[in-house]
Amino acid sequence: MKYKRIHILVLSAFVIFICSAFIFTNEKEIKFFVPKGWPKPNYDFKNNPLTLNGFDLGKELFYDPILSSDSSISCASCHLSFTAFTHADHKLSHGIQGLIGTRNSLVLMNLVWNKSFMWDGGVNNLEVQAINPITNPVEMNSKLVDVIARLNSSSKYRRLFYKAFKDSVVNSQKLFKSLAQFTGNLVSYNSKYDSIMRHEGNVEFTVSELNGYSVFKKNCSSCHTEPLFTNNSFENNGLSLDTVLKDFGRMKVTQSKSDSLKFKVPSLRNIEFSAPYFHDGRVNKLKDVLEHYTSGVIQSPTLASQLKQNVNLTKQDKKDLIAFLKTLTDKYFLYNLQYRQNIYQ
Amino acid sequence: MNFRINIANRIVFFILFLFAIEFFSAQNNSGTLKIKIHPVFNQTQLILSDHGYINTHGDSVYIDDFKFYLCKLCLKKEGANSFCEVESYHLVDAEDSVTQTIVIKNIPEGTYSNFSFNIGVDSLKNVSGALTGDLDPIKGMYWAWNTGYIAARIIGHSKVCKTLHNEFEFHIGGYLSPYNSLRKNSIKLDDLKIVSSKTTVLELYADVAEWFKTPVTIDVSKTNSVVLPNKQAMIMANNYSDMIKFKKSINP
Repeated sequence: MKYKRIHILVLSAFVIFICSAFIFTNEKEIKFFVPKGWPKPNYDFKNNPLTLNGFDLGKELFYDPILSSDSSISCASCHLSFTAFTHADHKLSHGIQGLIGTRNSLVLMNLVWNKSFMWDGGVNNLEVQAINPITNPVEMNSKLVDVIARLNSSSKYRRLFYKAFKDSVVNSQKLFKSLAQFTGNLVSYNSKYDSIMRHEGNVEFTVSELNGYSVFKKNCSSCHTEPLFTNNSFENNGLSLDTVLKDFGRMKVTQSKSDSLKFKVPSLRNIEFSAPYFHDGRVNKLKDVLEHYTSGVIQSPTLASQLKQNVNLTKQDKKDLIAFLKTLTDKYFLYNLQYRQNIYQ
Repeated sequence: MNFRINIANRIVFFILFLFAIEFFSAQNNSGTLKIKIHPVFNQTQLILSDHGYINTHGDSVYIDDFKFYLCKLCLKKEGANSFCEVESYHLVDAEDSVTQTIVIKNIPEGTYSNFSFNIGVDSLKNVSGALTGDLDPIKGMYWAWNTGYIAARIIGHSKVCKTLHNEFEFHIGGYLSPYNSLRKNSIKLDDLKIVSSKTTVLELYADVAEWFKTPVTIDVSKTNSVVLPNKQAMIMANNYSDMIKFKKSINP
């Protein structure tokens, strides 16, 4: 009995000791903000304590070509802040030495609500997503061992890693966790649509936007579900197979024929600025996207059930739908200086 | 003021004293197990690249690379719960002798009759983001495009393979049903004794020949590239699930 008590005492002393250490080292810890009415994020910062230093380090790495084999491109080369972190004007993006990939660069926003990453959902956790562009031969073409060695031989990074993790030795875990602290914080929730939903001030939809919203709810929202404007699923939206790229999408990951031609349902937030559209960037204008859904859908066994019947939209509906989609533009997000490159270093 | 400092000092000493008690009581009645893994092909020591071995199908094969994850190591004694190593993830590499020794400390004293383990990494670690140590993706036993750890792999060559450089490669992984590559197995021990403050040695074989043997005999001229979680990968995983064998144990 006595022994038990001593154990409890020791345990409580230990807990107090650990807690006090926590208070002193995490003075700059940031709390991740979940917008009102949004679901619980899928990624939990509990296992990657969010700090200003960690965020800043992630941002520094995001903008630094040091991650690529010939120091020519950075994450930001294909993910630009003012286009919701996609690659403006590029159907497919180019990596080192102008090599071209097979898919359109995805937007980076609201990533902590994603259940998987990439157009085919092959990546299961935000932290390990970055391994793909870093090691892909047509993107950054680096070996992880080399990246870690380059970072360890940089006095700047040893200092920044020390600030973020209280340890200047760089390893892949710290690299990926800091990148996730930056990318996970790219949250877009301040569009006109959001203001209206939150009843802020006297912001209201125009007549056209309001009609567009009801067209959207009737025809689009089963996949592009509010408030994230995606249901995180994979669907075949009736695009023809590109005979050069021969990209069957999710089937490559699951090896299942039932996933043939399926791709991630992308969010529609900031869609006004994230052209070109679809997984291979084949169309440039929103009106062409709508044209596809109303008259270009190709029937096939894996086609999304919602698209099996024709989607009929009048000219006015299309115009209004586009007007509504533009209310998803979030200028606070697109022009947020916190997401821009650090220039003081 | 002085009085307060005095009390504070006493409390600090008391806490340190308690830590000391805790420290020594944790050390009491526990010993160490040193596991040595010998890569072999059948009964002979595995020599990488330069030595041909005859597999069950009758072909001469050369092994250039052999790695696997040995995880969740547990010891069991009669009538007691298993003792399992915490955070038990070990990448064993035939090329690196350091990885062929695993030391487990603070095992309760006693006579153990069973040693159990996983070949491969459990599904939880496969979805846990960026990890370090033996689970660091830098170790190369990781698929980035279709996230997950490679449970075990061999790369080799054989004249019968009509492939580039006569190479065959088996990268076996996948954590999602129906292609979950994790294989659990156990070995009966001949009264392995863990003694307080002493080290017991357990020597094991990791037998590459099992990859080609049972239940499905592998003909490398036909099956020479398995690098995705699929049916073929499950056949390979079933084949090598019994590659860990008992060699001997040395009680202190």
